[in-house]
Amino acid sequence: MARLLDLAISAVLLAGLYATMAYGLGLVYGVLRVVNLAHGGVIMAGAYLGWVLHGRLRLDPYLSIPLVLVATYAFGALLYRGLVRHLPRGAAGGPASLLLLFGVWLVLRNAAYLLFTGDDQAIRTSYSTHAVPFLGTWVSVNRLAVLGIALVIPVALHLLLHRTYLGKAIRAAAQNAESCTLVGVDVERVYTVTFGLGTALAGLAGVLSATLFAFNPASGAGELLKSFVVVVLGGLGSVVGTAVAALILATVEVFAILVLPSYLTAAVGFVMLVIVLVVRPGGLFGQRVLG
Amino acid sequence: MPARSLHRWSTVTVLFLAALGAAVACRSREQAERKEIRIGATLPLTGAESRIGGFYKEGYDLAFEEANRQGGLQVGGKRLPVRLVLLDDTSSQATAVSLADRLVNGDKVDLLLGTYASHLVEAQSTVAEQNKVPYVNGGGGATDIYRRGYRYLFGLLAPVELLGTTLMGFVDAQQQAGKLPRPARVALVWENTAHGKDFRRGVREFVAGSKGGYEIVVDESFELSGKDFGALLEKVKAARADLFLADAHLPDFITMHRQYVSAGLCHPVVSYGARGAEKAAADALGRENVTGILSAVWWNAQLARKGGPTRAFVDAYEARSGGREPEWYQALGYETARALFAAIQQAGKVDREAVRSALAALKLDSILPGGQLSFPAGQGQQAHYPFVVQQNLADGTSPIVYPEDSATGRAVVPNPRCAR
Amino acid sequence: MSRARRSLAGIPLRAALPFAAAVGALALLPLVLDPYALNLVTLALVMIAGALAWNWMGGFAGQVSFGHAAMFGIGGFVAARLLLATPLPAPLAWLAGGLAAGIFALGAHPTLRLRGPYFSIATIGLGEAARLVFTYWERFTGGASGLSLPIVAGGKEALYSWALALAAAAVAASWGIRRSRFGLQLLAIKADVEAAADVGVSATLHQDLVFALSGAVVGIAGGLYASYFSFIEPNDLFGFDRSISFVLMCVIGGVGTVLGPVLGAIVFVILHQLLLASYPQLYLGLYGLLLVLIILFEPLGISGLALRVARRLGRGGPPPAPLVTSAAGPASPPGAGGGGRGLAP
Repeated sequence: MARLLDLAISAVLLAGLYATMAYGLGLVYGVLRVVNLAHGGVIMAGAYLGWVLHGRLRLDPYLSIPLVLVATYAFGALLYRGLVRHLPRGAAGGPASLLLLFGVWLVLRNAAYLLFTGDDQAIRTSYSTHAVPFLGTWVSVNRLAVLGIALVIPVALHLLLHRTYLGKAIRAAAQNAESCTLVGVDVERVYTVTFGLGTALAGLAGVLSATLFAFNPASGAGELLKSFVVVVLGGLGSVVGTAVAALILATVEVFAILVLPSYLTAAVGFVMLVIVLVVRPGGLFGQRVLG
Repeated sequence: MPARSLHRWSTVTVLFLAALGAAVACRSREQAERKEIRIGATLPLTGAESRIGGFYKEGYDLAFEEANRQGGLQVGGKRLPVRLVLLDDTSSQATAVSLADRLVNGDKVDLLLGTYASHLVEAQSTVAEQNKVPYVNGGGGATDIYRRGYRYLFGLLAPVELLGTTLMGFVDAQQQAGKLPRPARVALVWENTAHGKDFRRGVREFVAGSKGGYEIVVDESFELSGKDFGALLEKVKAARADLFLADAHLPDFITMHRQYVSAGLCHPVVSYGARGAEKAAADALGRENVTGILSAVWWNAQLARKGGPTRAFVDAYEARSGGREPEWYQALGYETARALFAAIQQAGKVDREAVRSALAALKLDSILPGGQLSFPAGQGQQAHYPFVVQQNLADGTSPIVYPEDSATGRAVVPNPRCAR
Repeated sequence: MSRARRSLAGIPLRAALPFAAAVGALALLPLVLDPYALNLVTLALVMIAGALAWNWMGGFAGQVSFGHAAMFGIGGFVAARLLLATPLPAPLAWLAGGLAAGIFALGAHPTLRLRGPYFSIATIGLGEAARLVFTYWERFTGGASGLSLPIVAGGKEALYSWALALAAAAVAASWGIRRSRFGLQLLAIKADVEAAADVGVSATLHQDLVFALSGAVVGIAGGLYASYFSFIEPNDLFGFDRSISFVLMCVIGGVGTVLGPVLGAIVFVILHQLLLASYPQLYLGLYGLLLVLIILFEPLGISGLALRVARRLGRGGPPPAPLVTSAAGPASPPGAGGGGRGLAP
């Protein structure tokens, strides 16, 4: 029984991590219908940004979050203005935007190699290995912080989307871009902001993972693949769905160790991805745009 | 119009291929009178493994400088300088293979040195075997590489299995001294790579031969660059093991050990295979968290205390690198090149067959543990020697604690970190 | 679409002659090339076959697969296992590998009703699941330590001929498919699945066929690759990078064109070698930049560029219906939902 409780706690912590990684990918797809393959690259870049700020300016990784958000937001907005805007969207633009953003990822990875070499890095703070007792087990404070942020983001996004003019414009653009233009919403601006936000969320996931894991320029591929699974399970474009899907994926992966060799537990997620896509392409909870 | 464009395209293609052919044909040069010995090698100089690739390069460079400072190698009554033709394989298998091909057939090198990491060596050595070029490597330790019956392949890294058995030999000595329970429960966690599989085999074989001294209670693999080891560590925790034996690369070691410490785990014996004594580990995890960790590596600079060629190597390296102490990567790189040089001189000519025979019969006073290097045919021409086990102590040092004859300090078992 | 009808047994001379000339010229290459260059060309030929096969699915039928490494790996490992365990001649082992890969592709049938990014994401899932399972399946693939094949004396020359034969067959098949009724039906599916269904073109049946065919040829390429390297490892053959490389070759050369993937594969393999030799620090970034520029300015890659140049020089003549329909071309309006399911918000 204690064992199941331990596993459940592991699953919830892991879910927090998966959710933070996936929000940005889900938001961008929900509004722009663009699968941001550069997502993994931005996560990697965010990790390095946090690492540099910590190493050079002695800035605590959690305090560096605003700076990383601003920097990656600007990068995302520029990326949209400079490149993504020129692509057709939807079914026709799918492959093109996938490949374009994959190209951006390769450039990011190469830049990281040039700047930081291929060595493994990690951010270490005085509390990196601190843990607090919880229900008879120990829980890392960093993991708790990630979980907290994973819970705050959907609330913040909900407030943004439902309480502000910008948020309403974003939701409108997600539902019908053409009518938005008719009623005077600057759709291009909305898209720029959304892409920037999605990228900033990836950057945030990057700093957070840098406090937990060792990373190098090739990091990000695993994060991207997990984000895919989460976003698809949750229904592309649904923020709350993303959070719940992260919990489902983490639970399945963690509890799979009871019946499967540890190495194969990751495969369960990918099999789930394919099954859900085939059986319920709208995600487990049906498709609700930014619900 | 498909036909039309097809026509145009095929013209372009033929022209392109013709140009390619001409370019390549021009490049092939005539064999002039021998003025030097050209030795080819690839290493991962960029990309994920670039740090280690750079270390091997330092070892190669030092060995080549030393040989050329004496005027080169003594071959057939005169001295010939040696030249290293080094290319960057970026740690990619396909690249390592085609570059080896290029070294042999394009650059026309006489002999080959190896690259780093088992899967690259395993892939690359096929090229050497096909072209009958002796290939000496210090970067491939997986036993599978040497089970294929290749004649031109020689390896200096002792099998990773010996890492597992040496570690267990140390543990066994502690058990006999009454410091560990009998039977001891073993949690075995290994990365799913050739390295991890060999490590696992070594530990399992030792346990099988221990007449009930040990019991394996967890035996799980994980994927390289894994992120979350929560479920795996929970399984280790539930198994109530006495020994936590993992085999991991540096990033996975850092990630896994952070989670291990945060989860409040502590075992009387903790090891991550070859990891644990490096500075990067203490930097990323904190000195207090790596204390007590046992690691087993192929070589350590502390072996120089006994003097001999090891002392000479460490001094020469430190003089060249501004006082930096060599790790096992540089030592293996250096020794690999030195073994090939010794074989060339013993063969007395730069003939691939003669050098191969000389390598097969080689007995060299070596800087490696055990003091003598040879490539026993019974082991597929892979060198065999014991690993050295180190332990991180609370004062920040990592002395060699096993085997006894190389020891520079005393082990603290059970792990003092668990005492609190 | 086809207007030229001066033909020999149904094949227009204007197409058959240069094709035969190219194959003939390539067949003579071993006489002039040194072994290193010859091996490079062999690898390029194997990749050409793989890229062309990917293009049938990704270019003709418009289903961009990010999971072709699964078929490549299955073909490679089945062939390797057969070569290790039976006295089967290598070409038969490669064919058997292709067959196994084709059957595996048929197993992906349920994903075929997905369109656009949904299909792409599903193939990523399939590819990664296959990689993990096959890396774990030690008794078949040798696990993470892979399989070594015995070295055959003089094998590389023979391998060159077989690779050339495979690549030539793939080019011929591409051309044949593109001009056939079947090819037109695929294009119809790509343009609009529902409209295609209305005129009696069954999307699932056609896609099953082309996916199996594509998988089989990629599988045969995997078998040749295994023989070429004499050592294969599941993380290399089944890797995500491998899947991406097929996509890249086609995008560089021109998605959906007949000869684009050929050029793409040549550029990919040979450029890769040259870049690695001269700019190992920059090659990833240069690839990325190339990809970005191609997508932004010339969605048809080198083929599109060459067509433009040819037209500028006044030789091209006006192509009334485009020879190709680009992946990014006006296929279906956004949101109209090519596949119906999945895309409608």
